[in-house]
Amino acid sequence: MTIVRIRSLSALALSTMLALTGCGSGGGLSSGDPVKLLVFGAPEELGAYRTLIEAYQQARSGERIQLIEASDRKDLLARLATSVAGGAPPDLFLMNYRFYGQFAAKGVVEPLDERIAGSSVLDPADYYPVAMEAFRWDDAQLCLPQNVSSLAVYYNRTLFTEYGVPEPTAGWTWNDLVTTATLMTRDDRGLVIKGTEAEGAARLPAVHGLGVEPSIIRLAPLVWSKGGEIVDNPERPTRLTLDSPAARDALRNLIDLRQAYGVVPSDAEVEAEDDESRFLNGRLAMLMTSRRATTNFRTITGFEWDVAPLPVYRQPVGVLHSDAYCMTRGSRNKDAAWRFMEYAMSEEGQRIIAATGRTVPSHMEVSRSPAFLDPDQPPRNSQVFLDAIPTVRALPTVSTWPEIEDLSYGILENAMHRGDKLDDVIRELDAKSRPMFARGENG
Amino acid sequence: MSASGAAPGRRAARPVRSPDTRARRQLALMLTPYLIGLVGLVLVPALVTLGMSVTDYDLLRPPTWAGLDNFAALLDDPIFRVALLNSVVFALVAVPLRVLLALGLALLLHRRAAGVGTARTATLLPTAVPEIAYGLLWLWLFNPLYGPINQLLRVGGENGLTVLGRTPPQWLTDPTSARAGIILMSLFTMGETFVVLLAARRALPRDVYEMAAIEDATGWDVFRRITLPLMAPVLALLAVRDAVASLHFTFVPAFVVTDGGPPPYATTYLSLFVYQTGFEYLRYGYAAAATLVMMLLTVAAVLVQWRLIRRYRRFYQV
Amino acid sequence: MSDGLVLDGVSAAYRDTTVLHEVDLSVARGELLVVLGPSGAGKSTVLRVVAGLEPVTAGRVRIAGRDVTEERPGRRNVSMVFQSYALFPHLTVVENIAFGLEVRDIPRRLARERARAAAETVGCAGLLDRRPGQLSGGERQRVALARALVREPDVFLLDEPLSNLDLALRAEMRTELRALHDRIGATMVHVTHDQTEALVLADRIAVLRDGRVEQVGTPDEIWRTPASSFVARFVGSPAMNLLPADGPLRPRGDAPTLTDEALLEIGFRPEAVALDSTEGTPATVDRVEVIGADAFAYLRLAAGQQVVARVPAARRPDRGATVRLDVRWADTHLFHAATGRRYQP
Repeated sequence: MTIVRIRSLSALALSTMLALTGCGSGGGLSSGDPVKLLVFGAPEELGAYRTLIEAYQQARSGERIQLIEASDRKDLLARLATSVAGGAPPDLFLMNYRFYGQFAAKGVVEPLDERIAGSSVLDPADYYPVAMEAFRWDDAQLCLPQNVSSLAVYYNRTLFTEYGVPEPTAGWTWNDLVTTATLMTRDDRGLVIKGTEAEGAARLPAVHGLGVEPSIIRLAPLVWSKGGEIVDNPERPTRLTLDSPAARDALRNLIDLRQAYGVVPSDAEVEAEDDESRFLNGRLAMLMTSRRATTNFRTITGFEWDVAPLPVYRQPVGVLHSDAYCMTRGSRNKDAAWRFMEYAMSEEGQRIIAATGRTVPSHMEVSRSPAFLDPDQPPRNSQVFLDAIPTVRALPTVSTWPEIEDLSYGILENAMHRGDKLDDVIRELDAKSRPMFARGENG
Repeated sequence: MSASGAAPGRRAARPVRSPDTRARRQLALMLTPYLIGLVGLVLVPALVTLGMSVTDYDLLRPPTWAGLDNFAALLDDPIFRVALLNSVVFALVAVPLRVLLALGLALLLHRRAAGVGTARTATLLPTAVPEIAYGLLWLWLFNPLYGPINQLLRVGGENGLTVLGRTPPQWLTDPTSARAGIILMSLFTMGETFVVLLAARRALPRDVYEMAAIEDATGWDVFRRITLPLMAPVLALLAVRDAVASLHFTFVPAFVVTDGGPPPYATTYLSLFVYQTGFEYLRYGYAAAATLVMMLLTVAAVLVQWRLIRRYRRFYQV
Repeated sequence: MSDGLVLDGVSAAYRDTTVLHEVDLSVARGELLVVLGPSGAGKSTVLRVVAGLEPVTAGRVRIAGRDVTEERPGRRNVSMVFQSYALFPHLTVVENIAFGLEVRDIPRRLARERARAAAETVGCAGLLDRRPGQLSGGERQRVALARALVREPDVFLLDEPLSNLDLALRAEMRTELRALHDRIGATMVHVTHDQTEALVLADRIAVLRDGRVEQVGTPDEIWRTPASSFVARFVGSPAMNLLPADGPLRPRGDAPTLTDEALLEIGFRPEAVALDSTEGTPATVDRVEVIGADAFAYLRLAAGQQVVARVPAARRPDRGATVRLDVRWADTHLFHAATGRRYQP
């Protein structure tokens, strides 16, 4: 109750402030107000954005960019919504395509086609189409993707060498993954141990074979690889289709990682130490995650690490991870904002952010350049990310997707860690997500 | 009140205002800041909430009339029902525990003795910690493997078990433990209640207790026949206040520590539900409807306890 | 004598200050002892030590022949009426009276019955279902008394029970209290700072000063042969006049043999002063207070000392007039100036 009050009040206050300043300032003073860019991320990621902004401000005197840092994705959504409602939105925000649907549907995002057409810097053909396509809504390009990432398997090479287990290679299968993960789950004496025995008695694994969160974005490429689908109609989804045999198998195999093989840390262990920290601390042999983790992992000094592609069932399929710069329709500094967007998307900007390790550049040429593939910077095998691009698919951008992800995460987490019955899990997911799909809007 | 009505003629004759009027003007003047705050911070938002609850509103597009659809949808919403149940259960368990703990400590610490000052400070301290920091602190305390609570529980046990050979509570992953954890967290912030009860206990006449001592009343008799009934009005008032507040103080723990989980919604309380629905899913009309339900719940809780107090108060016209 | 209550060299302290200094007192069974003294003399402490609410630092307390010094209050079989009455505000009158019985596990019906009887004894039987908040001061006092009576204790302790009542009610309750004592024949210790109350009520009076017993005696003894100038001046209103024995005023009649006049003080009550003499000591009338039939004339001697005289109102001197005052030796008391103790010729 209080929260609602405070928030709606702050929106009220914001709009009042806005009315006051709006009256005084009139329009078109690009040099006066800095361009506000709303982002969220880990400290290393925020560092990457700051690097980019500094480079931009140095290259173009007079341009000023103000970075507004949200604490997490949910905070970013709340801030964006309230500031839009208050009439004082940031000029730019950076958002994943999975979450931009609700803003796209509600006319918050400024279409960019005219500006792109008129730009001497940007050529849409320079960018990976799969990422560009993810940010098209009703045939308009709403946002410009800064990166095109996909899931990969990060692994601790030093540990693999120590235990004499073969490293994952391109084309490895799900069975290979399970075998490898089983071999890499070790107790504190370095002996292979079955993690499922951890609860109740015996010894706890000191090293777990694999970290993977039980979420729909991790599950999706596995389902696709098996030839299944996540939703009934990717363009206009009305329900989750995990009840198909392919999807069901993929889900069961994911759950079995914990329930049957115990190669994944238990929920208590995850609560105690999340997968990324576990990997950083050398206690996780493999971690399935996106390019995002790279900046963080580059701080590792204690061991060597690398990336491998996702394991394959029938055909290699990846899932798109992409964040884009979006301009708010309510921005009063659009020209300046666009100039920054152009810079960030340009070869130069892409090079700078790629060098921080944060992104797989959406700019094709940059992605193939040493800025991204630099062999001196881990992971050595960054090519894995590029090889995956032709196979990546995007998740639906229905406006209620954030709700659906939250819902499914809870249910899948229970499935993985509590061992809920698979049929119940699938039924519950379907039943509870249907109203959310029904409420959703599609581009 | 009667003075102004009774003597209009006299006032017209005398330019000096009667002291009564002046006192009331002063009162009004002193109340003004509060009233402005009340209207601006409570009444207007409450009315806005009421208005929003009958609309579909996502903050981004103009609201559209929805009538009672939101309320009908709430009835069907399993998440809302869980949140409602969680909130009610929390209030029913946490509020009595909080008040009892505060009462126990107040009775223990109302006398002067060595260490009492320190103990009182320690009791108050958690209340003074900013909420988010308090939540983060408990996140560490509750850490199932490395947290001090479970480390302590594992002392003397083997293989990560307690001395009794049982798994220590999985605070953040087991629904019951997580609910218990949130209640546990709320127990330590009863400092305010404690202070009020301490003051109430110290205000009780000493000779009544001496009287009881001369009559050889046991500690239990003294508590049951004297202390409890004498403090009952204060206790009841604090319970009402706590019940109202309990709808709020579940928010930060659930938001920071458990994130509404363990899955699916073990610690999703109404406050968190409202927050998520509004700020994360941009369903402000729906969130406003849930907020209204929360307000009604508050009013109901107050009314019930008010009736109980009134019934009790008949016994005491002190 | 020792059947009732005995204090044997009792000392008590509050924090670091000694409040009672080796107090010896004994109250016979059935006796009403009034402890009299100014505020701060330690009167209430005497009661609290007897009740066990304060510990002793030395000495023994015996009740009905039993050494109770180490016993807790509830085991001493005393009952107490507090100055504030200490009624339980949430209990009805009958519940208040029955409290002591009920916590001692006497069956409820029996307890209520005895409470009713006690209430009748003190004349508050009509109030049984009320609560303290609905009672007047006098009614509360009766309830407190009934509560003290109901258990038939060995000793009643009354801590200034009448001090919260208005004057008329106080006089009435005083009489009733005395009558009650005579009727039930209980051992009572009654604390007051009101000398009239003490004189009217007491079988014997113990005058307390700065935590020491100044004198114990019957009201007559206290009045006629005060053991010290303090007692002499504390009992009686206005207080006894006190002048140097070798001073300006020389009483008439047969003088006692005085060994060293310079070290003595001479005391006489206002009513002992005669103003109609022709040869007495001259004095000026400072002011005159008329109280009904009597008047008190405040006189100033040539050397500056003040003397109060009681005269019939009808024959009072005028303010500023010069009078001659006279006292007979027979009406005087002699005290050592240094110690204040009574001088026996």
